[in-house]
Order: sequence, then structure tokens, then C-alpha cells
Amino acid sequence: MSSAQEISYANAQKKRDFPKHLIIWFVLAIELLPFYMMVQMSVKTNQSFIANPWFPNLPNQWHLENWVHGFNLIFPYIANTVFVAVTGTFGMLALAILASYFFARYKMPCSTLFWSLLMVIMLLPGVANLVPLFQLLKSMNLLNSLWALIILAIAGGQVFCIFILRNFIEEIPRDLFEAAEMDGATHLQQIMHVVIPMSGPIIGTLSILTFLGIWNDFMMPLILLRDQDLFTLGVGLVYLDGEYVKDYGQIMAAFLVASIPIIIIFLFCMKLFVRGLSSGAIKG
Amino acid sequence: MSLPISNRKALYEWTLYLLVLPSLALVLLFSYFPSISAIYHSFFDWQGGNMKQFVGFANFRKAFGDSILWSSFVTISILVVANVFKMVPSIFIAVLIHRLKSDKWQYWYRVILVVPMIVPGLVTLFIWKFFFDPNIGLLNSIINTLGIKTVLVNFDQFFGWGVFYADAPISWLGNPHLIVPALILWGFPWIGAVGVLIYLAGLQSIGQEIYEAAELDGINSWQTFLYIELPLIMTQVRLSLVLMIIGSLQGFGLQLLLLGPEGGAGGAGMVPGLWMFNRAFQAGEFGYACAIGMILFIFILALTWINDKYVRVEK
Repeated sequence: MSSAQEISYANAQKKRDFPKHLIIWFVLAIELLPFYMMVQMSVKTNQSFIANPWFPNLPNQWHLENWVHGFNLIFPYIANTVFVAVTGTFGMLALAILASYFFARYKMPCSTLFWSLLMVIMLLPGVANLVPLFQLLKSMNLLNSLWALIILAIAGGQVFCIFILRNFIEEIPRDLFEAAEMDGATHLQQIMHVVIPMSGPIIGTLSILTFLGIWNDFMMPLILLRDQDLFTLGVGLVYLDGEYVKDYGQIMAAFLVASIPIIIIFLFCMKLFVRGLSSGAIKG
Repeated sequence: MSLPISNRKALYEWTLYLLVLPSLALVLLFSYFPSISAIYHSFFDWQGGNMKQFVGFANFRKAFGDSILWSSFVTISILVVANVFKMVPSIFIAVLIHRLKSDKWQYWYRVILVVPMIVPGLVTLFIWKFFFDPNIGLLNSIINTLGIKTVLVNFDQFFGWGVFYADAPISWLGNPHLIVPALILWGFPWIGAVGVLIYLAGLQSIGQEIYEAAELDGINSWQTFLYIELPLIMTQVRLSLVLMIIGSLQGFGLQLLLLGPEGGAGGAGMVPGLWMFNRAFQAGEFGYACAIGMILFIFILALTWINDKYVRVEK
């Protein structure tokens, strides 16, 4: 086949893709509709929304005070959630790395027992735990406290993260550990200087997943938190939705503000996220 | 693999146990203890305080006679079956994106797919709740504009459903007959970004030349899907199927937030998890709630076991 023929063949192939693009665009447009509605409604009042529900208003008709109102409303919740999510993610990963180092380095006596103890949790549905967990936290005097959420996040993420991290640590060349040992490194030093630098990407992916999980959680905050100034985003949004007279523009603006931290994370870590997700899928 | 270690060396390296201790302690306290406590308390009449009375299997007998619990299991079964069909669009879109000739577009579609994920799940949920609003919700205005409502009203008159009326807005979450359809419709077009990305990763191992060879052999695109693409993503499809079934059987967040703890009008959206939540935190019957949790737990465990035994896909 000559090159000219090849090019025309490729062009013909691309033209045949046109219907596929059309279908994909159509589906993606519906998929993005909630996002679009949130953004364009956030600068409208109820009246201007009813007058023009579908299309964005001109910039000179924007009600930017919605954003200010949304920000004031939601910022304390965001601060609480950031505190819980950052502390929780950090603590969760720190403990998970220590534990997976234990499982990955040596086959100590009782290793297998401990491993099965942890892995059984993955198979058990957690739904029956909700009620006793509430009672347990009540008896520990942790109701209405952000620390309860942090501890639960740390405990809840352990099993999955240890499961993933163990495989990655086992794949680190053993020579590195032996060299470090020769130099007199303790186990903690080996974790700091060998394990963490060598498994950067997977630790990044796991932190994003954990962070998102805590960010989106509403069940535990809803059950545990009572004081309005302790509310995380989960409960805060539920209460916002429960108001009787709804100014949808303000609510949508609050939703938009609630999404901003995640938007920022995604802008910086999208590659990490997409890659981690795909590679995890192939391994699993 | 982790190195085997002699008992003497293990004794010398005892500090290693300190590394695993915090994780084990947390898991024992926050996963094992509540599970055991749930089993224990399901045999008690317990209002949540210090007072409790052993009642044997009375909670379970009560559960078997509880018509709300039975109908909640029917509702969740309908929703799970619907969720199986809701997996199809993700597979379809993944295959469609993979078949595109242009790598550039494949990349950009992936990026666009991820965009909805930057909105917190709760926000998406509330925006959908707003879509369902009878007066200014989008769903009703789409249905009115496209003339589907007239069709629905005509059907209603013909079959005598008593659900759709020409002069009243459709109240999706307020009408007991419409709650389950609304829950099924929720999230249309049912594209899960994570699912699509996972399927795409599985499809990546098919090169263009295989498609060209298949084309030369004259197989149509449906056969390509059936014989080339589907077998390659079968592991992923099976995995997400299992996770979906387990997740939707025990999930009740959607129902709680859309319909409230009573399961909406007439309790039509009541699912087992929500009934457990309702008994515990609305009625204060913590012992009975534990029993419902145990029944649900055994039900899910049995399904997981059946799935593991019979639905194995050859790799």
C-alpha cells in the first residue's frame, strides 16, 4: 500500500468514527448536566431561575452575592472537614505503612494469623456494625467530637490500604533493605528512607482515595455530631437541604463552594488518580 | 514474598510487632468488637442504655413477622436487579471510547469522564433531588417539553394506574408508586467514571491490528464485542458486579437523604438498611435493630459465598 493510500484509508477510518463521537458527546452531556446546572444556577435567584431555567444568564445579571452567602455558610463546615480528612488520611496511612512493612519484610510467628484477622474484615458486610459502633463511641465519650470521625476513618481504612501496600513493599528489591540494615538502620529508618521513597505513587493514590472517602462521608457525621459548629460538610449539606424555604441559587452556590477543595486536588493530581485507578484495576 | 524467619531471630526482632500493633488494635476495637456486640445484643431487648433484658430469639421472630422488613427486601431486590442493568452503559461507553481511532480523543474523553467526580457525592445527590422536584425540577420540565407527559397520562387513563394526571405536576419522590421508579432513574445515564476507567484499562491490551484482522475476517461489531472485547473485561465486570451487589444491599444513604428515615410516602422506598437505622435511631429499639443487621449480614454473606462458588470466570 502506498503512503497516499494509507492516509486516505486512515481518514476514511476517522470519518467512520463520527457516529461514535456523537453518541459519546450525547451521553457525556447528560452526565455533566448536574455539574452545569449547579454552576449556572449558583448566580441566579429563584425568580431568574424560573424565568430562564436552562441557559446561563448574562454576566451583568449575575447574583454574585450568592457565592458570598454560600461561602459564609459552608466555610466552617469545610474547615472541620479539612481537619478531619487531613488528620484522618495522614494517621491512616502512617499506621497502614507500619503494618504492611511488618507483613512484607519477614514471616514472623503469628503473621498469618494477623493477616487473616485483617483480611476477613474485607469479606464481612459492615452494615450490622453501625448500631454497636454508635454505642461504643457513646461509652467512650466520643459522641459529638471530630476525633471520633478521625479514629473511625483511621480504623476503617486500614485493611484495604494494608492489602494494597503489602504487595508494593514486597516488590521493592530486597538488596535495598539489606544495604540499609548493613548501615545499621532500624526498622523505622528503613521505612522512612526505603519504603516511603520507593512507593510514592501508590501512597499518593491511596491518600487521594482515603481523602475523598472521608470528604464524602455523611452517615457517621450525621449520627455522631450534634453541635452546629462541629458539623462537617456531610451533615452541613444535609441540614442545608432540609431548610423549608429554599433559595436554590444560594444552595447551589454553597454546593459549588463545597466542591472547590476537591476541584483543586483534582487539578493537581488527576494523572496520579487516573493512573493509580487503572493500574490498581489491572493488578486486582 | 516476605522472608521466613527463624524463631530465634524473631525473638530478637520482637520490636517488629510494635509496628502492627496499632492497626490490629484499631481493627479489633472498631470492627470485631461491634460485630460481636451486634450478635450479642440481637438477643436482647435493649433501648440503648444500661438496661437490657435477654429475650432469646424474640427479636428474630419479630423480624420474620415484620411486614415492613419483608417488603423492604422486595424493594432492595428490585433495586439490585435494576443496578445490574445500570452497569451496561458504562461498559458500552468504555468499548465505544476504546474503538475510537484517535488516541487524542480517547485521552480527552477520559478526562471529561472524571469531571463529575470532582463534585462531592452528596452534592450530586442533592442536585438530583432538585431535578425530581415536582414544581421547578428539571425532570418534569423535560417531560413536559418532550410531550412524554401526555403519553404517560394517556397510558394512565388506559391502564387505570391512578398515578399521572394532566393537571397536576408529577411528584416523583412524593408518590408511593413513583418512588422506586425514581430511585431506578436516579443517576441517569448511569455512567460510573471509575467503572469506565477500569474497563478501559482492561481493554487496553487489545491492539488496533486485532480489530483490523477481525474486520478482514468479516465479523460485525456485535461479534467483536462478544468475542474479543467482553472476554477481556470479564474479570473487571465480575468484580464490579460483586461489589455493586454487596454495596447496594447494605447501602441506604440514598434512600435516607432522598426520602427521609421513614422511607418516603407510604414507606415505598424502605430498604433493610434504612429500616435498621430507623429502628435504632428513630424508635430506640437497638436490640431489634441489631437483629435486623444480623439478618442482612447473613443474607449478604450467603450471596457472597454463592457468588464465589458458582459464578467464577475463567481467566
